[in-house]
Amino acid sequence: MLLEYQKPLVPSTMSNTNKNIIRVVLMLTYIIMIGLVVYGISSIYAYLNTGADRSKMLHTEVKKIDQYLPQITWQPLDNEGRPMDSQTLKEIETDYLDAWYVKHVAYKTNTIEGIADYYTESSRKNLYNIIHLNTENNTSIEATTLSHNPKLDFFSEDGQLVVLTDYDVVEYKRIFINNNLISEVTETSDYRVTFLLEDGFWRIRHMVKLEHRPFENQIIQNTLKIDIKGINYYPQTTAWDMYGDNFNANTIVKDFEIIKNANLNSIRIFVPYETFGKANVDTKKLNQVKQLLDIAKDKNFKVLITLFDFYGDYSVLDWTLTQQHAKKIVTALKDHESLLGWDIKNEPNLDFESRGESLVTAWLDKMIDLVKSIDGNHPVTIGWSNIESCKILKEKLDFISFHYYENLDDLSEAYTNLKSKIKDKPIAITEFGISSYSGFWKPFGPSENDQAEYHKTIQSTFTEQNIPFMSWTLYDFPKIPKEVMGRLPWRKNAQKHFGFIDEKGIKKPSFEYISSKE
Amino acid sequence: MQLKYFYIILFILFFAASSKRNSGDSNQNFELLTKQTSYVAGDVISIQFNGKASTSSYLLCSNSYGTIVVKPSIENATFKFTLPKSFTNKTGIINWELIGNSSFKTGILEVLPQSNVKAIETYIGPPSIEAGEKDYTMLVTIPTDSLDNALSDSTAVTVKHQFLDKNYSEKITIKNGIAYQNIYSEREDGRIIISSECLGLDSKEYDVNVTPAIPTNFSINYKRIHEYADGNQITTLQTSVLKDVYDNIVSDGTFVTFFLTDSNGLKSSTSGTTIKGVATATFLHPDHQERYNVKAYVEGMAESNTINITYKKAIETFEVKFSEDKRTISIGPIKSFMSQLVPDGLNVTTKIYKDGTLDNTIIKETRNGFARLQLDKNRYPKGVYKIEFYAAGISKTFSSINYE
Repeated sequence: MLLEYQKPLVPSTMSNTNKNIIRVVLMLTYIIMIGLVVYGISSIYAYLNTGADRSKMLHTEVKKIDQYLPQITWQPLDNEGRPMDSQTLKEIETDYLDAWYVKHVAYKTNTIEGIADYYTESSRKNLYNIIHLNTENNTSIEATTLSHNPKLDFFSEDGQLVVLTDYDVVEYKRIFINNNLISEVTETSDYRVTFLLEDGFWRIRHMVKLEHRPFENQIIQNTLKIDIKGINYYPQTTAWDMYGDNFNANTIVKDFEIIKNANLNSIRIFVPYETFGKANVDTKKLNQVKQLLDIAKDKNFKVLITLFDFYGDYSVLDWTLTQQHAKKIVTALKDHESLLGWDIKNEPNLDFESRGESLVTAWLDKMIDLVKSIDGNHPVTIGWSNIESCKILKEKLDFISFHYYENLDDLSEAYTNLKSKIKDKPIAITEFGISSYSGFWKPFGPSENDQAEYHKTIQSTFTEQNIPFMSWTLYDFPKIPKEVMGRLPWRKNAQKHFGFIDEKGIKKPSFEYISSKE
Repeated sequence: MQLKYFYIILFILFFAASSKRNSGDSNQNFELLTKQTSYVAGDVISIQFNGKASTSSYLLCSNSYGTIVVKPSIENATFKFTLPKSFTNKTGIINWELIGNSSFKTGILEVLPQSNVKAIETYIGPPSIEAGEKDYTMLVTIPTDSLDNALSDSTAVTVKHQFLDKNYSEKITIKNGIAYQNIYSEREDGRIIISSECLGLDSKEYDVNVTPAIPTNFSINYKRIHEYADGNQITTLQTSVLKDVYDNIVSDGTFVTFFLTDSNGLKSSTSGTTIKGVATATFLHPDHQERYNVKAYVEGMAESNTINITYKKAIETFEVKFSEDKRTISIGPIKSFMSQLVPDGLNVTTKIYKDGTLDNTIIKETRNGFARLQLDKNRYPKGVYKIEFYAAGISKTFSSINYE
């Protein structure tokens, strides 16, 4: 009886479920449709309500961002006409540099964006003509100016007209035809510029190149005053990220004690470009570097500072910002007793492939000039990632440095070979080492004893050949930021175990060979 | 034909004032044939080399405004680069660099402005200056050639100006691309008409106003209908003609403030602006006997002498009448200096004291010579009150008004 009764029930439940599904689907569709309609109407409404924003009409909302900061040094004010005040001079400077900036952008892209703001109606035609010519010839020019030395010649009584002569403008240009680099030039010129104050902008009315000289830069050579026996340093827990809130002076004091006792006389540290605020250097972090140098001074050892860590742009229009960054850091630290020297950039040759060798080299070249122009007392080097790159810019560097992670057997010969090519300059190895990682990701990796053996061997080579060295690195790092080695676990894990001291703070066998014996 | 070309080059070379450098590596097989290095804006500039140009030969040229790349035109054993017209139209240094397979040569050309003038851009300011031979306006001229280049330095510009019945003309020279001249005011106010001239081209006419300098000290006086303190008539204060130190009448609209100090030392002020050097200001007669000290100032610049203005008593006394229940009070008739009823609106102040403390102050205005007030039973209940009446500086006191 029951069974008979149940029979028709089964299909009816089924159809109920189906009905419910249909109901739900219909309701959801309805809700989504309504949602879309409401979204569409609100978008149209929002669109119709934007546009003529009064605050944007009057240049009130133009925010100052650092995009172009070449070195600018005003000559003492001695102008004819009305006496100049510092505020107006600053406004002229800003608009003048912006005029250069928009010009560089215009010639790079062959567009006229922004020109009208900084050139008067009659003078902007001259720029348009050049853009027109370059467009026809498929030419584009990436340029920047690195230094300006303007002298104010004249300021009119009504404060509306200014004439200045900008001396020794260093211009760097890369000329492309059909996107192929055909030439790069560095020039020094003097310009006379006439400005008119229009709509609140100091616009260029006339620009005349008065003089042109080939770029010459005197190279100051500095000698390396110390027989480097060093190590690359990061605190154990804050590798690659040791400044700001992570900065801990106590840890550094302890670590430096270990380094000192290990018969080492120097360390190599890194100043990351972006974390330090790019052109607008974070004074708090800069003071932390100073603090680190102070601690090093107490322990009586020297610090090689590597600039521009994690920098990889190199584009010509970015140069002035990087120069500004370097200028601030070098100026702040150049007189510190424990400063060993400047490593312009860590392994820049790795960027050759993505950014182009000529661009990266040009950037390094100009950066060496800048650092030397500010600090004439400390040696400058570049930490190349391989021995082959050592020939690049060797005339300009005070000592050559490279990193060696290759086969130990080849080191002695490769070094002798290099030494025969670069006779007059010390050559240091500022990174070397081996990971003691053997685990899941690398089952047959070297053991801690292998690592000790490696360091024993390399130290004997160093002693034999009298090679200045800086090893990688004091500690095994429990965590490594993904920016350093990427996310791949076999690379990351290997990188964690280059230290002489393991994660638990116990000295590995290799620690015995952290420095030379004597 | 070729010989002629050669002679022309030789001729220009001979007259080129400044010889500019041409440098280059000597070991190359390219030889620079163009020896001219000084040009005038608008000239055709072509740079010719001896040798075989390769397809990748370019001439990199930079002028005052930017950098371009020029491709060669090849003729037998020579090749030449003709710089575009718009590029050679601008004055200044053009530096070039020959980029070829193995060759490297650089050079410098100079483009000078044309020696004719197409326009004189004139900037003048400030547009109004003060008389007195100290203040000045500045005329800045930028004479430009037909290609919008500023003319060469040391080109002469004549600045002319006219003031009152005098004409002036002065020669100045261009320096840093501009020529400027300060034009000083004279002792008189008026309008200076300014123009300039360069290489035969005259500019438009510009004018600058010379306004009088700041006023010197002045005197004041007053006018009134009568001398009675009736609280109704108006006294007019007037300055003498305000003049600057050079006897120019100050600009219309110069603001003069008159400060009045009464016999109690209280100050009030009234003000006016000058028309033809004279400022006037008015104030209402006081309603009681008063003596004002008046002094006027053009703030921060000049001041007047002090004058006294005395107002006689217009109202000698007044009567106060109480109704039977003493709650309706009529003050008046209040009579003025000719026994006429005072004009409507004279303030009568009534102060009501109870138990020695001030309970209320009521201010009423007269109408047809009387001020009336009603003291309500609920507001002023039964008791003894002292009531004082003040009008036109006279007071009357009723010390014990008894309310039922």
